[in-house]
Amino acid sequence: MILLFVENFKISLSAVFANKTRSILTALGIIIGILSVTLMGTLISGLDKSFESSMSWLGKDILYVSRYEWFSDMEWWEVRNRPRMLPEYVNKIKEKSQYALAVAPVMQRGASLSFEDKSTRTEIFGTNEEYMETISTNIATGRFFTKNEDRSGSRVTVIGEGIREAFFGDKDPVGKYIKIDDIKFRVIGVLEKQGKFLGLFSVDKQAILPFGAYKRIFSKRGWMRLSVKVPDDKLEDGLDEIISVMRHIRGLKPNEKNDFAINQTKAFEKQYKALKIAIGGTGIFITLLSLVVGGIGIMNIMFVSVKERTREIGVRKAIGATKGMIMGQFLMEAVTICLFAGSVGILLAYIFSFFINKFFPSELPIFLSLVAMFMSIVVGVISGFIPSYRASKLDPIDSLRYE
Amino acid sequence: MALILLKNIYKIYNVGGEEVRALDGVNLEIKDNEYLAIMGPSGSGKSTLMNMVGCLDTPTSGIYEFEGEMVQVMDDSQLASIRNRKIGFVFQTFNLLPKATAQHNVEIPLIYANIRKDKRKEMASEALSSVGLSDRSHHRPNELSGGQRQRVAIARALVNNPSIILADEPTGNLDSKSGEEIMKILDDLHNRGNTIILVTHEDDIAQHANRIIRLLDGKIIEDLYIEKNDSFIC
Repeated sequence: MILLFVENFKISLSAVFANKTRSILTALGIIIGILSVTLMGTLISGLDKSFESSMSWLGKDILYVSRYEWFSDMEWWEVRNRPRMLPEYVNKIKEKSQYALAVAPVMQRGASLSFEDKSTRTEIFGTNEEYMETISTNIATGRFFTKNEDRSGSRVTVIGEGIREAFFGDKDPVGKYIKIDDIKFRVIGVLEKQGKFLGLFSVDKQAILPFGAYKRIFSKRGWMRLSVKVPDDKLEDGLDEIISVMRHIRGLKPNEKNDFAINQTKAFEKQYKALKIAIGGTGIFITLLSLVVGGIGIMNIMFVSVKERTREIGVRKAIGATKGMIMGQFLMEAVTICLFAGSVGILLAYIFSFFINKFFPSELPIFLSLVAMFMSIVVGVISGFIPSYRASKLDPIDSLRYE
Repeated sequence: MALILLKNIYKIYNVGGEEVRALDGVNLEIKDNEYLAIMGPSGSGKSTLMNMVGCLDTPTSGIYEFEGEMVQVMDDSQLASIRNRKIGFVFQTFNLLPKATAQHNVEIPLIYANIRKDKRKEMASEALSSVGLSDRSHHRPNELSGGQRQRVAIARALVNNPSIILADEPTGNLDSKSGEEIMKILDDLHNRGNTIILVTHEDDIAQHANRIIRLLDGKIIEDLYIEKNDSFIC
């Protein structure tokens, strides 16, 4: 059996090589099919990965209390009159909630940063000392600010890795002074590198200030949200509790709707899943169609191959090949073309995804290339089946007479 | 015991609503080490008879025993197996695989017989040297003369040590000199104990055999044993 398998493989190789142009043209359909299917899969898996890491940056166990929902189908007039978030909510939540492990107010605005002759525009955040507990990033060098520094309005800042790289290069930034909108702040720490959020914008270019200093210098009112960390095994309970705490703070009657929003990464996940099914589903469907077209090309050329070699089939049958052996030979030929095309397609997908990766997260997982390989074999078997079956059914006498 | 026994064989085709009797009640017994020539004009049924004997075709009715086994009830893979192990075909147009070397062409029956590679190589070389083509084993058919191609085909027919060799007009596409060479090889094979069935319409080719059957309209009209003196063979 193995003998015959090896022999069939050799026959199909020689048949494929004997008609190089034809084989390559036929393979092209499958190459394009496999390439588009794998690229599609690659993009989805890249999207997944970047989503995962972005979500871990947000933190599954963090509730984001804010004026608006992240994703909402409410009309704007329903939400525009909602009251603002206030800094005093921080202590009120801490008092009333048993699940809140950390509560950090976060205010955000754009500002220009400069150090010596270098300057950049970036986002600055005003928050308290518990902020570090509500993000998944760690301090790379130096330290975060303390409660006292926050209360006293100290002009200290923790900068992102992007700012450090741009301003200080190889030098130690801790203890240096940078200007934020022309006011001097002392750098006390640097955050670890985080990369891009959903592959869209970098979160490494940021500066974090104590809430006290931020409020005093940049904005007393402004937009604000609260990050509340709850135990990750008590997410539902924590959510329910924070909702009731906020309703209590706002003094809402039981029949009144919430006039605030509590966002979670779940909201992202829901949106993301819907998006993924829409993009991925249609994408895979369309790319699979191209694979089907490639398969039809293979079937077509296999019919030609069987016709051309009718006499050979007759000879082989006369000297002892069974129907199964003939069928195996032609199936193997179709599979060989498809395997070759599949390998080329996967190789191209690797190269493409390498370049796409520079603009958008994409990575070809080994698993996906194995699936693609398997798919090309399946396409080969399916599209080679009818021609091979027809070859196996040929009458040896008629085939021997065929001119 | 008879090697081949055909009893009351009919092969009837239906061509355009008209019944064509390619074989019309053929009875034939072939013994081991016979050298048989089947003769007849075209359309007489000699090709059909040869295909029948070669297990490429099955009769419409009648009994065919090959070494005591009933052929007419065999399925495709059993027929293939008989063709592979018991019968060696030599065709008028050689029918070698054009892309394979002589050596590989001879090996193909052995591949279908599932014989190991080293053993296969050895058997194929042996068969090639028995037809005097050892030095041409790595040539492709298009690098060989007609006579040489037919010798490769004979080597392919021989390689599995079949019970019979069926040669269908083996010299039809060859010049007379090459034809003589091929016939000499077949004579030698017969002298070494092989059973040979020859289909031909040339009388002088048929004279190599020691039994001649003439067919007409699907019937055997003559069955003639030829006495030979030894000097003729040599």
